[in-house]
Amino acid sequence: MMHDIAVLGGGPAGMAAATEAARRGARVVLLEESAAPGGQVYRAPPTGFVVPADADSRVGDALRAALRQSGAEIRPGCRVWGVGGGPLVPQGMAAAPFRLDALAPDGQSFAVEARALVLCTGTHERIIAFPGWTLPGVLGLAAATILLKAHGVLPGRRVVVAGAGPLLYAVAAKLLKAGAEVAAVVDLAHSREWVRALPALAARPDLLARGVAWRAKLLARGIRVMAGAQVSAAAGGEVLERARVGDTWIDCDALCVGHGLVPATEATRAFRAAHRYAAAEGGWVPVLDADQRCSVPFLYAAGDGAGVRGAAAAPASGRLAALAALHDLGMLPDHAAARAAPARDLARAARAGGAMARMMALRPELVQAIPPETVVCRCEGVTRAEIDAACADGAGDMNQMKQFTRCGMGPCQGRLCGETAAELVAMHCGGRERAGFATGRLPLRPVAMDALLGDFDYADIPVPNAAPI
Amino acid sequence: MDVIAKHDRMKDVAHTLRIAGISRPADVTFSFEGTSLSAPEGENLAAALIACGIRRLGEGQDAARPRVALCMMGVCQQCLLRVDGRLAQACITPIRAGMVVTAA
Ligand SMILES: Cc1cc2nc3c(=O)[nH]c(=O)nc-3n(C[C@H](O)[C@@H](O)[C@H](O)COP(=O)(O)OP(=O)(O)OC[C@H]3O[C@@H](n4cnc5c(N)ncnc54)[C@H](O)[C@@H]3O)c2cc1C
Ligand code: FES
Repeated sequence: MMHDIAVLGGGPAGMAAATEAARRGARVVLLEESAAPGGQVYRAPPTGFVVPADADSRVGDALRAALRQSGAEIRPGCRVWGVGGGPLVPQGMAAAPFRLDALAPDGQSFAVEARALVLCTGTHERIIAFPGWTLPGVLGLAAATILLKAHGVLPGRRVVVAGAGPLLYAVAAKLLKAGAEVAAVVDLAHSREWVRALPALAARPDLLARGVAWRAKLLARGIRVMAGAQVSAAAGGEVLERARVGDTWIDCDALCVGHGLVPATEATRAFRAAHRYAAAEGGWVPVLDADQRCSVPFLYAAGDGAGVRGAAAAPASGRLAALAALHDLGMLPDHAAARAAPARDLARAARAGGAMARMMALRPELVQAIPPETVVCRCEGVTRAEIDAACADGAGDMNQMKQFTRCGMGPCQGRLCGETAAELVAMHCGGRERAGFATGRLPLRPVAMDALLGDFDYADIPVPNAAPI
Repeated sequence: MDVIAKHDRMKDVAHTLRIAGISRPADVTFSFEGTSLSAPEGENLAAALIACGIRRLGEGQDAARPRVALCMMGVCQQCLLRVDGRLAQACITPIRAGMVVTAA
């Protein structure tokens, strides 16, 4: 069946986009790899788990309920690995709709086609390498929110929380509430950065109040909060035992560390949409107009994947994208009137979200401080020294550096090391624009080869006879 | 090396790592590297292993870069292990009764 609009990603942006479009009569399909829509911030707990409701879960439940009632076809548990159609149709061939290839929960591969495509793929976490970051017990800060909120498990008994942005205080407060000991909160931001962000945060008094409450709780409990500080090393035997801040080693059995969020642009890159580098929005982002349109016709991006603006802004940008798609498909005559409310909501939420995003922007000094022998690419075991050497030998951008060192060629496809590696290349070649990004390649998300090939064995793959030379 | 033995220190406190106040399905048993463990049915495998005191999920290609759950959202691929013989990401795999988990 041909859909009017396909939405990739079921976070707040994707849920709102699909809901808006389906309510207005479009045939909409939403694809999401998790077992239920929700995204990173409103991730639903596993089937059979009942987690007490809080402010976040109520917002998530409301978005899910509206989506269910909208009439959109919801396909959870489906990991999209391939894209096609649209701008990828070779020149001279007949135009074709967008196509998404996905794996269903039962392992079967299937495709959906749509006249317009809204990408709401969210972000992944940036963790800049430091000595000892490969020790078990070290995990991402955003990752910790999932472990704590969706799975209800503590990362350890005595935890150091480190990095940048509001998730620091959210994680620390949640750890305390759940009975863990918070050994220290190590905030990259100086107090003056928080003071500077205050006027923008005032646009979201609810979130500001929550942040102030978290901070007060930490102070009341006598938790050590270190501002303008960073964890420079982690150490231990088989697992993490301590983390170093300045000259002090802090004993801990878990370290939650994150240096911001990076928009997931695999799909916009695969469609060869135009991108720009915007450090304050998380890195490379698709070039968009005021209605979330990409440079490719009938392609839209919304939510944090289009530039980090936070969970409150995501639904508004999703709705704007859906309305633009409807309008471009000729299904929405009164576009100007319809877009007014979400455009206003987005402007308001993006003010506070933007201030937070700026605080989570990449800090080059963290990359400069990485010692040469530290592993940057964990999949392939590539150190900083090897990346520096490749650059000195003439690797002038990310693609060349990747060829020289294998950095980013492992199963994570550069999602974990890419930010550190790109910043190292940028230091040699004169900036992130020059360093560029590794060419967008399929699969978008890793999938087992046997899943794509079906049930047959290696021996069943037909091998053509070699051509005579 | 026996992955479980390394975690004896964590095991003492492991029972307290599951946050109270959440209603969970009944426990089922599964095995990790030959040791029988239990966890609520449907719990996330990475979370269940952490709750069982196991954070070193395997030695991988290089003991300096062991398998661990790092991103908890399916992107970093550091949590790869084998579930009933097939390569899987611990952080996106739910626990099923009788599941046989080994290091990858
Ligand atoms: C791990 C993590 C935890 C976070 N926790 C919080 C938090 O606790 N509080 C907070 O305020 N903000 C949090 N954030 C910030 C987050 O970016 C929110 O602002 C918000 O979730 C953004 O909404 P979104 O719809 O843009 O993207 P997301 O919520 O990230 O949703 C994107 C969705 O797309 C799906 N997807 C992506 N690619 C594919 C594919 N190829 N196939 C199928 N599905 C796909 C993902 O599974 C995901 O559900 C977190 C971010 C991360 C990375
Ligand atoms: S923890 Fe990153 S993929 Fe599983």
